[in-house]
Amino acid sequence: MAASTSLRFAFVLFWISVLASTALSDLVISKIDRRVDLTSQIVRVVSTLKVENRGHDTVSEVLLPFPDIQAKNMAYLKSSYHEGKGKGKQSAISLPVTLVHPEGMPPELTFYSVSLPRGLGKGDSFTLDVLTVFAHSLKPFPAEITQADAQLVVYQDSAYYISPYEVKVQTLAVRLPSGRVESYTKYPSTKLVDSEIKYGPFENLPPFSYIPIAVHFESSYPFVVVQELEREIEISHWGNVQITEHYNLVHGGAHIKGGFSRIDYQSRPPMRGESSIRHLIARLPPRAHSVYYRDEIGNISTSHLWANSKMTHFEIEPRYPLFGGWRTSFTIGYGLPLRDFLFESDGKRFLNTTFGCPINEIIIDHLIVKVVLPEGSKEISATVPFITNQWQEVKYSHLDIVGRPVIVLEKTNVVPEHNMHFQVYYKFNNLALLMEPFLLISGFFFLFIACIVYMHTDMSISKSSASYLAKQQLDEVRATVQQVQNIINRVLSVHNKLETSLRDLSRTGDVQSCKAVRKAADGLFKDLAKELKPLLGFLQSSPQASQIWPKVEELVAKEKEMQEKLMAKHSTVVDSFEKKHAKRDVENRVASIEQKLAILRQEVDELLDTIDDF
Amino acid sequence: MTSKPITSPVPVEWYPSLSVLMLSIGLVLTASFFIYEATSSKPSRSLSKEITIGVVASFFLGFGSLCLLLATGVYV
Repeated sequence: MAASTSLRFAFVLFWISVLASTALSDLVISKIDRRVDLTSQIVRVVSTLKVENRGHDTVSEVLLPFPDIQAKNMAYLKSSYHEGKGKGKQSAISLPVTLVHPEGMPPELTFYSVSLPRGLGKGDSFTLDVLTVFAHSLKPFPAEITQADAQLVVYQDSAYYISPYEVKVQTLAVRLPSGRVESYTKYPSTKLVDSEIKYGPFENLPPFSYIPIAVHFESSYPFVVVQELEREIEISHWGNVQITEHYNLVHGGAHIKGGFSRIDYQSRPPMRGESSIRHLIARLPPRAHSVYYRDEIGNISTSHLWANSKMTHFEIEPRYPLFGGWRTSFTIGYGLPLRDFLFESDGKRFLNTTFGCPINEIIIDHLIVKVVLPEGSKEISATVPFITNQWQEVKYSHLDIVGRPVIVLEKTNVVPEHNMHFQVYYKFNNLALLMEPFLLISGFFFLFIACIVYMHTDMSISKSSASYLAKQQLDEVRATVQQVQNIINRVLSVHNKLETSLRDLSRTGDVQSCKAVRKAADGLFKDLAKELKPLLGFLQSSPQASQIWPKVEELVAKEKEMQEKLMAKHSTVVDSFEKKHAKRDVENRVASIEQKLAILRQEVDELLDTIDDF
Repeated sequence: MTSKPITSPVPVEWYPSLSVLMLSIGLVLTASFFIYEATSSKPSRSLSKEITIGVVASFFLGFGSLCLLLATGVYV
């Protein structure tokens, strides 16, 4: 199978060289160094190009072609340059790259165009760096291995850089993981030093020249491929950003044939299956809390979490080690504080968070990022540094009336270089936040209203039955008794006023005010007695009140007695005061009345209590 | 472009204490509502008093249950 792919590769390149017409002759690549990194499952190619303008017109773009087979696997392309030379070199400034379709070019090539910051004048040269990341470019060969075998993979490329321009000098360095190199295409001046294969330097090559190379080497790096990842980022303005990630993982390396022996796996090194997936390391943002790791069966306890101020380190082990072709699925969730991710500027709020997944060195075939914004968010837009599919949907969650707007971003072929920050802008009115407690409050209020309605309505079926009428009369009696109680309490308060006036008299000696209080009390007593009369009449006549009537009668009688005695006492004291008798004399006179008053008061209180219980 | 971080209206550490406080006040008011209903007789009941106690009690119960949800981690 590898032979047929390499044949196809060579065939394609053959056609390119045959059909290569006069390429663009303005630019010349004076030097290109390519470094291919094959240490992990993701192939990274860093090329440093030095272009020179040999023509007359200013050139503003550089074309980068890739064979279609490679372009299919290309996940990320970035171009940058450094301002200044030598010591004054600053950090890389990125250049815009776009996909173009120029005419007159050989088929089966995909072209990208890098726009230069300033037009390149005649005779000028410019150095730029290009980083290309390929996913699924390493093919396991043999495709099936046993548990004890080492995993061997094949990488195919062209030793000459395929370019529409003439190339003066070029080199290619392929860095391999330390391990066995099964075979590699040897051309004159090819060296293998320290797990690094160096091809070149090749000089003065015409445009679109190629020679195929294939490197067959051992790679025990675990090939973690996530077929489907769904990340849900839920924002709650009450203080939390909750991220939930659903993974569908598969081991993308050589499939395992023969059986899996756990004993062998845990024992001698050669049988251990070095290329199996044993654990995954995720770097969560700092201050992550409530981290969970579970799948459809339940919680998975084989995980380790430790946090420092820069990040939260989360190491998870799947329920079983994954060999080639095996799959697993799980869910990770964690909460983050709101102030690290949500910001406000120019009246709009925006969420600033990373796009990719926190697990390092994995390839994601299909990534869906859903950002769930609180209810009432308007004018939602997302700014992502690369191309994604976007659409909006609605999610119904806790305490929702109309649902929460969700903006969905979709991307295929995602590599760790895509783990950049992206922003989602929206407008939110703070008052909309109060809708949630308002919903709860109205729920509870509805219960209270239901209770009030129940108490106020009369839901008896027959309105003329004896028991219903009896109940009604009892209610009336109760109401009347309560009113009587009310009046008696008012009378007692007048008694208290009289007593206080007597005490004031002994303190201040003001007879006039005392007499005034007495007069007022007299008037009040008369009024209250008048009020009491119809109530007592009703109670006497009502048959339902037969139980309570004697007590009420007793209460009224005792109260009257108290009234009389108190008035007597009052007049005695005032009299003695006017006649300026000695204090001890006064006390002797009212002693007996005081005693009787005390007893009466106690009895009245008891009667009031019993009536209360009715 | 100055962007300032957005935080919750109430500090997150206060949610448990706030929920206990509001729920207890709400439950006391609910109890007073039901006591009033039980001890008053038909003519002496006043609708305005009932509704007032009901409104205030449901206000405290609503906020208390919201803070309870937030304190337990269900960030609604």
